Amino acid sequence: MHISEGVLSTPILIGGGVLTVLGLSIGLKKIDYDRVMEVSILASTFFVASLIHVPLGPGSVHLILNGLLGMVLGWASFPAIFIALLLQAFFFQYGGLVVLGVNTFNMAAPAVLCFYLFGPLVSPLVKDPQRRALAGFAGGFFSVFFSGILMSSALALSDSGFFSIAQMVVAAHLPVMIIEGFITMFTVSFLAKIKPEILQS
Amino acid sequence: MTFEKFSQGESLLHRTDTRVKLVSAISLTLVIALCQSFYTSLAGLTVGLLLLTFSRLNLRFVFWRLMLVNSFIAFLWITLPLTYPGDALCVVGPVTLSKQGVALAALISIKANAIILFFITLLATSTVVDLGHGLESLRLPKKLCLILLFSYRYIFVVHQEYHRLLRAAKLRCFKPRTNLHTYRTYAYLFGMTLVKSWNRAERVGQAMMLRGFHGRFYSLEEKTVTKVDVIFLIIMISAAIGFAYIELMK
Amino acid sequence: MPPLGSLVALHNVTFCYPGRKHPILDKVDFTLHEKQRVGLIGPNGCGKTSLFHIIMGLLRPQTGTVFFKDTQLNRKKDFKILHEKVGLLFQDADDQLFSPTVLEDVAFGPLNLGASPAEARERACQTLQELGLSKLEQRITHQLSGGEKKMVSLATVMVMQPDALLLDEPSNNLDMGTRARLIEILNELDLAILIISHDWSLLADTCEDIYAIDKGKVTQSDKAYLHDHRHAHPYGEQPHRHRNRIKLTSDQKKEER
Repeated sequence: MHISEGVLSTPILIGGGVLTVLGLSIGLKKIDYDRVMEVSILASTFFVASLIHVPLGPGSVHLILNGLLGMVLGWASFPAIFIALLLQAFFFQYGGLVVLGVNTFNMAAPAVLCFYLFGPLVSPLVKDPQRRALAGFAGGFFSVFFSGILMSSALALSDSGFFSIAQMVVAAHLPVMIIEGFITMFTVSFLAKIKPEILQS
Repeated sequence: MTFEKFSQGESLLHRTDTRVKLVSAISLTLVIALCQSFYTSLAGLTVGLLLLTFSRLNLRFVFWRLMLVNSFIAFLWITLPLTYPGDALCVVGPVTLSKQGVALAALISIKANAIILFFITLLATSTVVDLGHGLESLRLPKKLCLILLFSYRYIFVVHQEYHRLLRAAKLRCFKPRTNLHTYRTYAYLFGMTLVKSWNRAERVGQAMMLRGFHGRFYSLEEKTVTKVDVIFLIIMISAAIGFAYIELMK
Repeated sequence: MPPLGSLVALHNVTFCYPGRKHPILDKVDFTLHEKQRVGLIGPNGCGKTSLFHIIMGLLRPQTGTVFFKDTQLNRKKDFKILHEKVGLLFQDADDQLFSPTVLEDVAFGPLNLGASPAEARERACQTLQELGLSKLEQRITHQLSGGEKKMVSLATVMVMQPDALLLDEPSNNLDMGTRARLIEILNELDLAILIISHDWSLLADTCEDIYAIDKGKVTQSDKAYLHDHRHAHPYGEQPHRHRNRIKLTSDQKKEER
């Protein structure tokens, strides 16, 4: 889920860049050197998630899981997502350098939002597994929803002629939201059972 | 799975200093990404193609990579001519193709492909480790560079770990379909990969601490900028300035 | 055509890893008959695990064919019938187990084969019971000991009711007690077994035939030689037995005298 280079207008590119730099500086401040390894390996794990294709009807979609990442890493999602996207650009030339700011913000801002909204609800302190599962679903669902909204806003604000495309982008995200909701829900329940400290951030 | 498809080679571009290539790529990309005219973007595409010939990369690989990356562009070609407001180019039954829409789709295609070519020829011809060190000497925050290098190091390990689990699941007759059993299975496979990665991060962190790591990687190779590098940098920056000139004069 | 009564057969299989000069398996013919129990030995890196992966369709040989019963398996899809009837126990149990609880992991296979959740649960419970693992049912797989993980991964394969079991170094890192239990279980099973191991006495205790892989060839080492061991190990002063279940031929018995 990313916008190609060459599509967005200058103000949007600058705006996205500035917001991402802000997010990165907050995120990096929250990571002390002991946690660098943890953030790095989680960044690679989420890179790998983007290579996992799950079936959807006759086609397939790849996982995003930025909601889960947000619930696990909090503000550190900014550097983790930034690096994962940078590696995608290096490896597959998806996205690009100038648009990296916008793409990072589109994915990481919803992740941080999920951290505040649903993080406390999935923590190991919550004893009710059903409430945790529900919060997990909501986290996966809304993070992709917000990412879709941000992505389409970036398009629509760049050029009013992109408005219909922006609407299609949101529509295309709908089935992905549901899948991400279920996968995040099952993963959160799984983690709560076997490695609760991951959800403790 | 091979990730760094283009990083191996003996061409001029493979030998050029990574910092020089980073600066060149960033300035060229910036100008082309922001330009609005066909002339500028076509000039950019020309430079991109020239760089491609210098890089002596396998053209078939490059072609397939371009096709893959152009999927978003293809989506724009399908939608923009139909939805972009503007004069009618032609009317096919109930469908009106907009002139401005087609022009915009064409402009974006040229710009995007020029930039992808810069990326492939200037950045993908370096290894990620070199890029990490290069970005660090360009004043990217140290922690961010560390995360880049560590993540790169462990992507392959994590990817393999996930694939071993998936393989075992498939041997137990797991057939992915659109149902909850499938999504639950993928969640567990991913969750288990996450747990293993987490444990590995703990062990590696401890091992690194024991070997005296405190926040800095030292590169074994001393990189010096050669005369050729300087000339290369001057040419690339001039090209970027040239693009800006075309854009402003138009 | 595969030999009569064969369960799994390789015919003229050659496999070479990309970038290597010599094939790791060179025109190999190999047959596993129904209910046959075969041990496979050979030095590290000689292609034992590759042979397993070729049988399971994880690796595709450059030449040659894999047969399951009388069917030739050509495409990836064809191997699905084999996966239902041949179970592979990976060398590292951690590569195999991924569900939160033991019961869920064991039930995963039957669910894939179309069993209802209730049926799958029942079959899983039954299999665990048969293997004496009932008390592990609700345990978290990730937190089991190495030996327990190995036994649970055996259960995840057994629950599919296979006709054959391929075991890749099953006794690696097992303590004596678990190893003895594994041997006992393997000897109770009424199905074909193919075991890779460096553990000679495990093979001697569980297999009828021993094959060796070396320099790309698979050969049967059909003769058992009686030999004496002088050895020492910690706790050696404790009374214990080293089992030797290979039946001696009459010639060897004479030699012994």
